[in-house]
Amino acid sequence: MSTTPEERLDVSMTINGRRYRSTVEARRTLADFIREDAQLPGTKLGCEHGVCGACTVLLDDLPARSCLTLAVQAEGRQIRTVESLAEGQELNTLQRAFREQHGLQCGFCTAGFLMTATALLEENPTPTRDDIVETVSGSLCRCTGYQTIVSAIEQAAAEGQNVTNGGDQ
Amino acid sequence: MKKLDKHQHMSTPAVAARSVGTRVLRSEDPRLLTGRGEFIADIDLPRQLHVAFVRSPVAHARITNIDLSAIRDADGVALAWSGKDVAAFCEGLVGEMAVEGCVPTTMPLLAGDEVLYVGEPVAVVVAESRYAAEDACELIDWDFEELPAVINMDAAAAGGPVANPQLPDNLGLNGGASFGDVSAAFDQAAQIVEGRFYTCRVSAAPMETRGVIADYEWASKTLRLWSNTQMPHYLKYMLTAYLGFPEQSVEVITPDTGGGFGMKAHVYPEEMLLPLLAREVGRPVKWIEDRRENLIAGAHAHEQYVDIAYALDAEGKITGVRTHALGDGGAYHMPPWSMAVEPWCAVVMTPTGIYDVPAAEYTYKAAATNKTPVGAYRGVGYMAGTFARECLADDAARALGMSPFDFRRHNVVREFPWTNPQGIVYQEGSWRQTIDALEEMVDYPAFLHRQAQLREQGRYIGLGLSCFVESSGESSATSLEHGLGDVYHDTATVRLNPNGTANVTIGLSAQGQGLATTMAQMAADTLGIKVEDVSVQTARSTDHAYGSGTIGSRGAVVAGGAVARAADVVREKVRQVAAHMLEAATDDIELVDGLASVKGVSDASVSIADVATAIYFDLDSWPKDFEPSLEATQAYDPSQAMFSNGGHAILVELEAETGFVRFEKIYSVEDCGTVINPNIVEGQIRGGVLQGIGASVFEELAYDESGQILTTTFLDYGLPTMDVAPPFEIHHLETPSSHSASGVKGMGESGLIAAPAAVLNAVNDALSPFGVVLRDLPLTPEKVLDAMSVATTASGPDEGL
Repeated sequence: MSTTPEERLDVSMTINGRRYRSTVEARRTLADFIREDAQLPGTKLGCEHGVCGACTVLLDDLPARSCLTLAVQAEGRQIRTVESLAEGQELNTLQRAFREQHGLQCGFCTAGFLMTATALLEENPTPTRDDIVETVSGSLCRCTGYQTIVSAIEQAAAEGQNVTNGGDQ
Repeated sequence: MKKLDKHQHMSTPAVAARSVGTRVLRSEDPRLLTGRGEFIADIDLPRQLHVAFVRSPVAHARITNIDLSAIRDADGVALAWSGKDVAAFCEGLVGEMAVEGCVPTTMPLLAGDEVLYVGEPVAVVVAESRYAAEDACELIDWDFEELPAVINMDAAAAGGPVANPQLPDNLGLNGGASFGDVSAAFDQAAQIVEGRFYTCRVSAAPMETRGVIADYEWASKTLRLWSNTQMPHYLKYMLTAYLGFPEQSVEVITPDTGGGFGMKAHVYPEEMLLPLLAREVGRPVKWIEDRRENLIAGAHAHEQYVDIAYALDAEGKITGVRTHALGDGGAYHMPPWSMAVEPWCAVVMTPTGIYDVPAAEYTYKAAATNKTPVGAYRGVGYMAGTFARECLADDAARALGMSPFDFRRHNVVREFPWTNPQGIVYQEGSWRQTIDALEEMVDYPAFLHRQAQLREQGRYIGLGLSCFVESSGESSATSLEHGLGDVYHDTATVRLNPNGTANVTIGLSAQGQGLATTMAQMAADTLGIKVEDVSVQTARSTDHAYGSGTIGSRGAVVAGGAVARAADVVREKVRQVAAHMLEAATDDIELVDGLASVKGVSDASVSIADVATAIYFDLDSWPKDFEPSLEATQAYDPSQAMFSNGGHAILVELEAETGFVRFEKIYSVEDCGTVINPNIVEGQIRGGVLQGIGASVFEELAYDESGQILTTTFLDYGLPTMDVAPPFEIHHLETPSSHSASGVKGMGESGLIAAPAAVLNAVNDALSPFGVVLRDLPLTPEKVLDAMSVATTASGPDEGL
């Protein structure tokens, strides 16, 4: 049966290793759920129509646009956000590479790039520069001119970064 | 020309560089990389309500009826206002600039009897959630009679249907001036080259949209306003001037900001409305713009024609330049910059560039149209003016049979200080060296060889050159130099703590430029301490240091000057006490690398940390009559206009089958005087150049004949993506400013200012076998393919296709 957008549904999902349960409107986006209900505002909304990639999170280890995903679609699934990346109170290798390569300026698009790159490096720990460009070109950045982002991901890969351990480990 | 009186706050201390000039990693990054930045959308206040706007779906119409009762009855709605409701509090924002021929407009906060562009706010709704507010917007009941939409700026400027009844001639701006004997130059010219160049309408499109939160507490009359503005202090002033909130109780708070690029350097109706709404409903209200709103209602940029002509003598020297700019200003002057921001800036700031031109004449016009108002975007006017000038330089080089490097070298200014025909003084520069450096970087003979070889294979590469002079460190002096009287100055506060660490507060809000890092470098070197021991707050609140806005490539220069001046006051205190502790004369004490030392006496030193501790806790360390505050606030405003310079050479290939412009490599030369942090300067270059590539090839805010905007998502409005972004080779020249702190000059805008000219010149170079010269942006695949195919059928290239 069809559900109205305002109808409230129960949802339960795991974000960064922690279980969240709530009752939300069917139309509530996953991005709003993550940012407001789970209080994890590191995931940003740049366009809300699935183009800019700022809101990218990992949904069962694959990059997903949280602005185009409904919270109820994440029922029972594992989500990772930018808040899961740091190792204790230290930047992880990828984050450190972004800093060292000056791969961010305003930082608004950064979470999306980090999550997309995390998925890439988990799937292919030794990507070429072309692999990186092909995978990460779906995210927009208005500050950096992109080259330093590619270099950061290259550096992280070169440092043998093991990013398979998300916040749920 | 009126000259600026020199004041105390215009001198800066001499400081030995330690941290300045090095690639200090940014202190901002750990927060931003871990999702711990705090952007405006991340801020939630207890009891807050959410705001959404009803915006005009038509370009030009008379509102005959507007009924918000269904909205007001909707679930969760606290308040809904139309233009009539808000006019009682504020008639609107006046936009004008003190230049010849500017006719002001008043932009209502919500449309009154007429809507003048698609996206103009018509009604505002306050509700329990953003979802509820947007639902309620759908319930508006209104009728309007459509009026003729004025879309074309040429037609508008010629008269005819009126876009905005406040501008019956459709002209928001109309003026001009002449310097030197321009007529003689053109009458006696051996050759005249001229062209009409078009820069299309674009959006700055920062990744973070605009946002405002207002919280008003009636009992204390306290207004707190969060805005991701580039001009928090100016916004505070406007809130008191237009709305009457008591100045002493207004605080503007600027959180982390996701890019601004000029779009956030305005005062918008939304920023005025939210405080009124908060006061009315007695609860905090929050508005976060969505991307569609940002593309249709955030300030637009750039759209204008620049007609430019050079008079050339028999030797190929430019003897005169005539420039006329016609801008499409949109429906209103965008406060505070007005329609002058493009056409006036283009003709006043840029016609001579790096060239030794003795006579210049300009006219400017801005036409009102039924489109979104045009405002500031990184390098206002400079982009279009540089585009026209540098592309005409290539036209001239072609006409003279010279290389683009040789033509520029033939005409470049060689002696400084140089005064242009308008009387603008350029103190120093590496203008000729830029041309030489670029020619060497691209290995021009090798390029020509490769170009010829590839042409034989039916491949078309091109090299485009563009040299710029950028007015930087926007100041009272710069304003006066360009014929305005705007007053700028900023303050900074520096405090040395008991353990010898420092806290710095500046009056500029930051949008990603890394000001917290570069200002820590400036403070560290002045105080003689380590950069890691300095913590900088940018203008998060107007309760602290004062600032005239993060605009006009002024951050590093102006905040840097204020920081150095404030740190110098503290430094003098440390020197006095160190001298007393070391039994030496104050003049002999120097502060470097964490030590206060007696000059020339190797073992006579005390750590700065120990001096600071002593000032706080040890009266015996004090000299007689000592005043122990280790905190100082000082102002800074450069005493003279200053100009950075540089150039770009851009290498492209045109895909013969698709007309797509592929960017192979960017060569950039930048001279911004002393470089505080090369990482940050290079980041500004790369980002700015890519925006220039976007404005040249990928981006255009398109309208149809009825004035409907067609580009309302990032699917229709194409920003450059990673797969089209070229690699860079960047070369720094350093010609320090003679009067700024540490010799720093500003450079935040030069990438966007100069890249489009290099792109068009590169494309035209690649098209040269086809005998076609393009002059209009954007260089879409259609235009490029037409240029290649039309020419093929008409005359045909030399090589077979």
